[in-house]
Amino acid sequence: MTKTYPKASRPSLDDVSVGIEKGEFVFFIGPSGSGKSSIIKLLLREISANRGKVVVNGKDVSSMRSWKIPQFRRSIGCVFQDFRLLPNRTAYENVAFALEVIGKTKAVARRVVPEVLELVGLGGKEHRYPHELSGGEQQRVAVARAFVNRPLILLADEPTGNLDPDTSIEIMRLLDRINRTGTTVVMVTHDSNIVNQMRRRVIEIESGRIVRDQPRGVYG
Amino acid sequence: MRLKYVLSEVMVGLWRNVTMTVAMIITLGVSLTMLGASALMFLQVNAMKDAYYDKIEVSIFLTGEVTDAQRASLDSQLKGDPLVKSFYYESKEQAYEKFKRLFADAPDLVSAVKPDGLPESFRVQLKNPEKFQAVSDKYAGSQGVEEIIDQQKLLSRLFGIVGSVQTLALIAASIISVAALLLVGNTIQVAAYSKRREVAVMKLVGASNWFIQAPFVLEAVFAGVIGALLAFGALLLGKWLLIDGSLKDLTSVLTPVPWKNVLLTLPFMAAVGGLVSAVTAWITLRFYIRV
Repeated sequence: MTKTYPKASRPSLDDVSVGIEKGEFVFFIGPSGSGKSSIIKLLLREISANRGKVVVNGKDVSSMRSWKIPQFRRSIGCVFQDFRLLPNRTAYENVAFALEVIGKTKAVARRVVPEVLELVGLGGKEHRYPHELSGGEQQRVAVARAFVNRPLILLADEPTGNLDPDTSIEIMRLLDRINRTGTTVVMVTHDSNIVNQMRRRVIEIESGRIVRDQPRGVYG
Repeated sequence: MRLKYVLSEVMVGLWRNVTMTVAMIITLGVSLTMLGASALMFLQVNAMKDAYYDKIEVSIFLTGEVTDAQRASLDSQLKGDPLVKSFYYESKEQAYEKFKRLFADAPDLVSAVKPDGLPESFRVQLKNPEKFQAVSDKYAGSQGVEEIIDQQKLLSRLFGIVGSVQTLALIAASIISVAALLLVGNTIQVAAYSKRREVAVMKLVGASNWFIQAPFVLEAVFAGVIGALLAFGALLLGKWLLIDGSLKDLTSVLTPVPWKNVLLTLPFMAAVGGLVSAVTAWITLRFYIRV
């Protein structure tokens, strides 16, 4: 699979081929600009490959019709470095919003949201606004929002990039717990500490090519 | 739940941007007024055509020196003409009486015309008013005929005037509607921008496109319908103050504008206003909110 951005002199991802099994926990590592964030965007179908296929949950997303994309995205959870929470909504409302806009009723939200907030360790802080929460807590809300639909895949784009080392480790424990429920976790990072501690599959990308793919790897 | 959500989003969106909303509604209202007025004129011209084409006469005016023999010969020619439905003779005295009746409120004009100053004429109704030219050609050369006048020509001049007013209104409507639609597009862009975080999250979690776009499109529809109501109010006022008010003398000569037609413009303008605004908003969003 190859992705070249318009006006770019060389492909962002050049003839990359990788398979990830259901239930795996995979790190994509590499320096800035190596193309690892493009992988998240490709998996979410925010962008599409110029050549080759991106198959997610058995569906070729690169050739997917645009009206099918929303339905497809409901099977994927996503967490970002900058949390992407709605500032004028509480933790509860942020998670409930994700449910309501895909057509779930308020009753469903009332049942599911406290459960998932409890799971991410935010029990008792449901009615705090994002600015009343620490960075780690905000990221927990984001994880709760990503996980509330029980997605098959959780994508994380440098989820610990804005957090201190201790908080980062707590978030990683959370992602690990989610992984143990059977959810595939794909995480893009350049946090060597975390990669070394977790000892999961590591795929290293440099200049758009895979230079290492190692089970139970370290940052190197 | 979803309907309630969408509606509350619409109201919030309109209120957040209230100056733009007002500007949008006013321009939509003005252009819809123009559109509604020209639709009324269109109905009016059709009604007038139906009402007047039956009564149209061709007038064959006779010269002052016409002889009895010439008059009798014309009379018998008209009697045998297959194009003629009916006709009658109008003498100078009858013409004067009619003139006095028509211009009763202008005594100066009446006193300036002598009883024998008006020409005598044959008033002819044709089987088919369109065949005027054939009749005109046939009698124009006859002895004692001064001039042949077709009322249809006078009427078509009147229709021409109404038609050009209608065209002007349509041109004005389309120019103002460009401004209105630009405002609609801009308002929708601003609304989408002020909700960009929500939109980003909605796209991320897989909200359907219609669900993301519906509040914005409905905002535009709402503005279009309110604009149509404003325009309807303007037309009602126009009918009340102008057509039944200061222009009553003119309009009573012509076919009256029925209230039914004025009422009919409301659904017409609401449909056009709502639909065009919705399409504009939707196209704006196509460019603005990419999947």
